[in-house]
Amino acid sequence: MTPDTRPLIEIRDLEVSFDLGKRGFFSGTRKQLKAVDGVSFDIRRGETVGLVGESGSGKTTVGRAILRVIAPSGGQVLLHGDGAPLDLVPLGPKALRPLRPRMSLVFQDPYSSLNPRMTVRDIIAEPLVAANLMRERDQIDARVREIAARCKLDLEHLRRFPHAFSGGQRQRICIARALVARPDFVVCDESVSALDVSIQAEIINLLKDLQDETGTSFLFIAHDLSVVARISHRVAVMYVGRFVEYAPTESLFFHPRHPYTHALLSAVPEPDPDLPFTPERLLGEIPNPADAPPGCRFHTRCPFARPRCALEVPDWRKLASDHFVACHYAGEFDFRRNRTSAPKETEPT
Amino acid sequence: MLTVENLSISFRTDEGRITPVQGVGFSVAEGRTLGIVGESGSGKSVSTKALMRLLPGNAEIDTKARMRYIAKSGEEIAIETLKAGSRTLRHLRGGEIGMIFQEPMASFSPVYTIGNQIMETIRLHRGLKGRAGRDLAVAMLTKVGISNPSTRVDQYPHELSGGMRQRAMIALALSAGPRLLIADEPTTALDVTIQAQVLDLMRGLQRDLGMGMIFITHDLGVIAHVADDVAVMYLGTIVETGTAREVLKSPAHPYTRGLIKAIPRADRLDARLEAVPGDIPSPSARPAGCPFHPRCAEVIPGLCDRATPPEVVLSEGRRVRCHLHDQTRAVA
Repeated sequence: MTPDTRPLIEIRDLEVSFDLGKRGFFSGTRKQLKAVDGVSFDIRRGETVGLVGESGSGKTTVGRAILRVIAPSGGQVLLHGDGAPLDLVPLGPKALRPLRPRMSLVFQDPYSSLNPRMTVRDIIAEPLVAANLMRERDQIDARVREIAARCKLDLEHLRRFPHAFSGGQRQRICIARALVARPDFVVCDESVSALDVSIQAEIINLLKDLQDETGTSFLFIAHDLSVVARISHRVAVMYVGRFVEYAPTESLFFHPRHPYTHALLSAVPEPDPDLPFTPERLLGEIPNPADAPPGCRFHTRCPFARPRCALEVPDWRKLASDHFVACHYAGEFDFRRNRTSAPKETEPT
Repeated sequence: MLTVENLSISFRTDEGRITPVQGVGFSVAEGRTLGIVGESGSGKSVSTKALMRLLPGNAEIDTKARMRYIAKSGEEIAIETLKAGSRTLRHLRGGEIGMIFQEPMASFSPVYTIGNQIMETIRLHRGLKGRAGRDLAVAMLTKVGISNPSTRVDQYPHELSGGMRQRAMIALALSAGPRLLIADEPTTALDVTIQAQVLDLMRGLQRDLGMGMIFITHDLGVIAHVADDVAVMYLGTIVETGTAREVLKSPAHPYTRGLIKAIPRADRLDARLEAVPGDIPSPSARPAGCPFHPRCAEVIPGLCDRATPPEVVLSEGRRVRCHLHDQTRAVA
């Protein structure tokens, strides 16, 4: 399904700070870590937005701030519905409660995110019960069975406890739980990263199919670019608390404009010994977000950095239709990448 | 330099005896890298831990297993016969075969400095003490590309970033001067840009030092760019071996073919991913016959679910364990 162009969620200048505690006993100043520093983007109805970044980039924090699992320190998260858009940022826990069923979350680790003392049926039913969406047991059972079947779970398994299941099955339980209340929006935080390749493909396909059927929007957070490429309509690349690039998947993967996106893509080894593996050499390490570099945050590692990069924060600008980038010199680089066609079927030798 | 035959390992557990490794055989030549690929439960880590005799107490190595290693001195060591705590075994661990693990934070002691731990290895395996040991430790850190090695040498593991820690781990393994390096998912916990740096480093070091290497990973992309030879494992057996090019470009076993198709690739966005159906069974519920038969698209009913497939030699060094390739199979 092609997503329609109306936004479901608009994120404007989102900021999230964490308190690192007082530096000294008598000094009143508190050190702050800005995990997310002025991020703006929108997610359309029925769309999957991929969010990639390395550790410490703030991608998980963005997901949690949108869901209001944590409180942003600035900016707006506008949730569109039937009436006027609603800003989630100033809302307190009570005001958020009725909105909870509209949003949900699938975590990375399917082993620690399922309560071992609850049956699969109760786990999947929990969002319905917690939000008091359904009261009748029969009604709840019917809905649980419906979503479980869609997530390719064996209905016999609903009476069992999670320990009896493999990683892939557990992740299907988590997905069923996330979708049972028919949310508009689901954040998948590294939801396939812990799974083996042969299982991962099935979960990716399942998420795509479910989206086609239900029109749910996804924010798909992952560090694995190839996984994100497969599932997302648009992809955002994050580096130390800021977006560096946001574009439709095709455009981002085959014609990246930011040197960091280019470096990330070149660092992914493809399973083909004939393809050259020449990762862009980045200098040093990912900076600590508590001590982020001034100017463009990538300038300390960027092979193309010039003096201006250390001084001025680059603007978030539009380079092509729907293609946004934060780099002073983005228009000057040509990072176009080759596509390879699907491999020919190999006959058993 | 290393030949392993008939390696089977079983564990005594509360739920009975499980055999996560069954009849595994491979060899590593000097200066070459053997990539062992497999998903969880395939037995890839357990098999290599047996080479270092690092298995826990409830593990048993089958008596038919042969693990032959040619030492630096030219002497042949039968690893399976070494007594725990023997001088040869202590020399073998580190001095002959070095090992690096996925999570360097868990492999370093948190209470000693990086330098301290490298110097301990140098003292034990090279007999260098004091100033000379320290100088060599700094030289090793320089070699693995750690900036400010003379400062880093006095830092604790927690003061280093993940990538730096993995570099320090490599320095530690190499400081004993091993001829064979076993790397167990060394880049899995690292970010891609850091992974690229570490892979680069490992390939360079191996070339310079002429070491043999066993590189264990679940990532076929990494395999394509570090390994000369590849062994694909599934549920405790090697299903296919060959050069990296042969295995990745013309996979012979249905499992390898399925695995390659299931990998999402960033250079191709077109077709839908083809998943391998079903789940990976647990090693305690290993299917009879070919372990892959319940998930295999080309299963031969009545054969694959009963008889263990023979190892078929396709060409020199190219072997596959699958009934489909067995020419001697009587046509029903």
